[in-house]
Amino acid sequence: MSDRRDTGKAFEGEFARKVDEIVAKYPYPRAAIMPILHLAQERDGYVTLDAEEWIAERLELSPSFVHGVVTFYTMYRTSECGANLLQLCTTVSCMLRGCDRLLLHLKNKLDIDVGETTQDGKFTLVTVECLGSCGTAPMMQINDDYYEDLDLERTDAILDAVARGERPPSGPGPRRVLID
Amino acid sequence: MVTFTIDGRELTVPAGTTILQAAHAHDIRIPHYCYHPGLSIAGNCRICLVDVEKFPKPAIACNTFVSEGMVVHTQEESEKARDWQRAMMEFLLINHPLDCPICDQAGECKLQDYSYKLGAPTTRFVEEKEHGPKRRELGPHVVFDWERCIKCTRCIRFCDEVSGTSELDMFLRGVHEEIGVFPGRPLDNPYSGNVVDICPVGALTLRESRFAPRVYFLSDVPSTCGACARGCSVNLGTYRNEIVRINPRENQAVNRWWMCDEGRLQAARLARTGARRLSGPRGGREGAADPWRAATAAAADALAGAARAGRVRVLASSRASVEECYLLAKLAAGPLRGAPLHLPAHERGEDDALLIRKDRTPNRVGAEAVFDALNVPARPAEELERTLVSGNLSALLAIGPGMLGPIDDEPPVVSPDSLASLETLVVLDAFPSVLSEAAHVLLPTTTFAESAGTWVNFAGRVQATARALTPNEECRPAVMLLSDLLERLTGEPAPGREAIQERLSEEVPAFAGIAWAELPASSGQQLAGSDEQAAACAPTGAALKMLDAGWEKVPDSPRGKPPWVW
Amino acid sequence: MEKILTRNVGVKGSHTLDVYRAGGGYRALKKALEMEPDAVTDAVKASGLRGRGGAGFPTGVKWSFMPKQPDPARESYLVCNADESEPGTFKDRLIMEVEPHALIEGCLIAAYAIRASTVFIYIRGEYVRPSRILEGAVREAYQAGLIGKNVLGTSFSCEMIVHRGAGAYICGEESALMDSLEGGRGNPRNKPPFPAQYGVFGHPTTVNNVETIAYVPWIIDRGPEWFASIGTNERNTGPKLYCMSGHIRNPGVYEAPTGVELWDLIDNYAGGMARPGRKLKACIPGGSSVPVLTAAQCEGLVMDFDSVAAAGSMIGSSGVMIMDESTDMVLVAERTAHFYAHESCGQCTPCREGTGWLEKIIRRIRMGQGRMEDLELLESVAGNMMGTSICALSDAAAMPVLGFIEKFRNEFVHYIEHRRSIVASG
Repeated sequence: MSDRRDTGKAFEGEFARKVDEIVAKYPYPRAAIMPILHLAQERDGYVTLDAEEWIAERLELSPSFVHGVVTFYTMYRTSECGANLLQLCTTVSCMLRGCDRLLLHLKNKLDIDVGETTQDGKFTLVTVECLGSCGTAPMMQINDDYYEDLDLERTDAILDAVARGERPPSGPGPRRVLID
Repeated sequence: MVTFTIDGRELTVPAGTTILQAAHAHDIRIPHYCYHPGLSIAGNCRICLVDVEKFPKPAIACNTFVSEGMVVHTQEESEKARDWQRAMMEFLLINHPLDCPICDQAGECKLQDYSYKLGAPTTRFVEEKEHGPKRRELGPHVVFDWERCIKCTRCIRFCDEVSGTSELDMFLRGVHEEIGVFPGRPLDNPYSGNVVDICPVGALTLRESRFAPRVYFLSDVPSTCGACARGCSVNLGTYRNEIVRINPRENQAVNRWWMCDEGRLQAARLARTGARRLSGPRGGREGAADPWRAATAAAADALAGAARAGRVRVLASSRASVEECYLLAKLAAGPLRGAPLHLPAHERGEDDALLIRKDRTPNRVGAEAVFDALNVPARPAEELERTLVSGNLSALLAIGPGMLGPIDDEPPVVSPDSLASLETLVVLDAFPSVLSEAAHVLLPTTTFAESAGTWVNFAGRVQATARALTPNEECRPAVMLLSDLLERLTGEPAPGREAIQERLSEEVPAFAGIAWAELPASSGQQLAGSDEQAAACAPTGAALKMLDAGWEKVPDSPRGKPPWVW
Repeated sequence: MEKILTRNVGVKGSHTLDVYRAGGGYRALKKALEMEPDAVTDAVKASGLRGRGGAGFPTGVKWSFMPKQPDPARESYLVCNADESEPGTFKDRLIMEVEPHALIEGCLIAAYAIRASTVFIYIRGEYVRPSRILEGAVREAYQAGLIGKNVLGTSFSCEMIVHRGAGAYICGEESALMDSLEGGRGNPRNKPPFPAQYGVFGHPTTVNNVETIAYVPWIIDRGPEWFASIGTNERNTGPKLYCMSGHIRNPGVYEAPTGVELWDLIDNYAGGMARPGRKLKACIPGGSSVPVLTAAQCEGLVMDFDSVAAAGSMIGSSGVMIMDESTDMVLVAERTAHFYAHESCGQCTPCREGTGWLEKIIRRIRMGQGRMEDLELLESVAGNMMGTSICALSDAAAMPVLGFIEKFRNEFVHYIEHRRSIVASG
């Protein structure tokens, strides 16, 4: 098992121990692949090819099968992205409350297009489908946190705080928003 | 048993049969891409939609099990079913590239065939098609074209269920999904070429056959592979007296639907090494008008002389056909006055769980059956080597190891030094070997595609090869050369191929019931008394066990699914 | 109507075992464990509870498909579908954040009824906070002997596993969920076989939506008659969560009796239309997979399973999207078509190719390069996508397009003829 191709981090030891814990929860080991991939991504920033091979061997699957699983789901990344992943919802309910305007604002403020990362590496901007927060639209997910009820001001305040290295309180805002 | 109606015909089939299987067994053709009888059911192409009465939606024939009293209408009868299939064809074609002029699949492409039969003549799609890589090498032999792929997943299922190597999988999602391999782990198993056969379109092509002559120009000759002791049934695609490609022919008793890459690439090997082919007889009187007669005469004289002194032996080969072995036995027992006969082994590696046999010759069982029955017991090659080294032989009649193709890395049958003691070495061979190098009389033979022959595989299955190519004048069929030799040595007219076969049925009990004329292009017949071996012949490798398991759950299989569900 | 699942919204610590117990929590579980499993199923049948994930299938009937004598080598499973990804839907998230124990208790009762040994809660990957809260509640329940071996000291044993998805709407389809849970790509399966016969890893499996399961404790505690007494009639029973979004003043989740009127929801629950003077133009009553309704069709519309179906749409997941006159319906159609093209798993021909084709045609119309024949083409392509695929995503992509063209054809025509939206500042 190649150990150090992408990030230089080993899989034996701490990682393997956590994997064993996860596998023990399930009646069939193969079912543990998704939580293990989340674990690998949390540790390395994305799912490395090394991780895929290690996981394949650990769960007795072929590496191509693991790669097939990784590339099927939107949340597993196969390469590095900026320090903060901005995932803006652009499906119908958010669109009705002005997410398109918000997207334009984000592109201008950060000076990047969708799919790109800012020069300083702090932000990557992507659009995503419905995040299940239509009651507090428009909104976006920054890394793991939902930031809701976003008008342009609130968005700026949140992004500036994140840029400073803070983790502003997530969840709904003080009032509902409708950007015209 | 279940009785149902399809297109007005009442059929009775075993319970657990799908509509598609029942239809195909009764010559009702339902179009299909993802279905393959040798693989699990995927049910994703949706072209086999049929109209089943009382069903609320169209049903896929490949995954709908027949029930008592079911009434089914296929596209032959039902305008509705035709509309659905036309719709599926349209969907398949909207992103499909207009590659027909440069695509190898043309002529045997199911998109072309079904489109012609039931598609629409024009397209309604005016958008930009999806684009993707068009010449991605998945492995040493298989090239992938993303744009042509219809995502039927036959290739993935083959690698999971038949070769058991799981190199292929589907990556990404939706219309962008693509077949691929894990970076650094190419599609490199001994059976990789089969995915090219089963790909219904030109998405997977064999690198060695890309841009070869069009398939509709090829003459297909059913034959048998000679690369190992299994003797897979094959199809030789020939064009202008060359083999352009070799495909497996379905034979449920021997190789099911598959063949290994080594056998498949024999044609390419022959083409590459053709220049090394042994050419023209050697060893006859200088300046003779007919070099073949002269060489045969020289061989006969020398062998007869050595036989009178009891100093001649015969080196046979399990790469010689059953007919050739018969003649060798007659020669050894007859005019060569009981010359001991040796049969060397050519083994490499191990038998695998699918098709490949470690015995790299196609006729060991056949040769031994003939030699045993005709009282010419086959001795090992090591014994011959010892006799040669001791200097007790003056002549040797040898069938070389290169009769079926170049022998590359095989160790020599006997060491070159040991041959130095011979006064006359007569060799029949097609490709150079230690024997042909040392021969005093060399009689170049035809290869496996240039003359007919009968062979018996490791499980007692009798099969035939056919003459697919016309040989040039620099080589002759071994059966003809041996026949000539026998005639020259005995003075009696030697039997032709058919006569040899009749005599084999009389003189060799194992061949008693063989219907020789029916062998070519068939799936073969068993030697008498070999039914037990027959049962163990067709591959049942670990991956295939999943397919054979039927309705049992297989949680530890690669997909954890029952074999009939993808 | 008395609030059930939304009674503790805003209450601090509502997700904890203590608060849940203080409100009578796990009383129903105790009662259920004293009943025969089939009696629990009968109670749910009698309540008229129908699936709240989108299909509306009678829950008790679904439970009755499970084997009455499970094979010990193939134990039965309950899967709770918390993959909530239908656009416009966000009620299951509320349940998991505010009342996770209601879900847990419901799962235990359901597992008992169908004789399952393990419950998998498949929660969409993006729901990080809800999954943490849910996992915390599961831990509490284990510690209190409510989950695990010998629940509440009875012979019923049940494990519960919270499993996070990773971003795929298709995993909300029950057979794709099962494939994903098994550790694969979320590919829906052909049927037969059916989940109750051959589900997760070949075990008999029932898949139920979060909200459906979360009401079960109240059905058992108060009796099915109580549940059935709320709602329009015996086929449309019980309290229900409605997700209001779009051009209303107070979007959010509102609990109301099944069969509340749409205008009641808009005006009395959600604070009325968002912008004064901007009238209702259209409503999508059940998540983006259902056909749109015009304002005229919304007059007097009763929001229950049968009535919405009679109006030509579906209550689906109760994702109610309200659109006022400023809405460009063709843009909504395009955004919806894009969603399905992005989420199609790609397995089968009509969906993989059709969803992309629909999106491309509608985008071309919006970019001002549409042709009149494109409308017929859209209808034909959408029609070919219905009933011909492995799962319902293909139908879910096709039906909205047919709905938009049928109800708002003039907007498409305007784009084609004038190369811009019919809406003023579109």
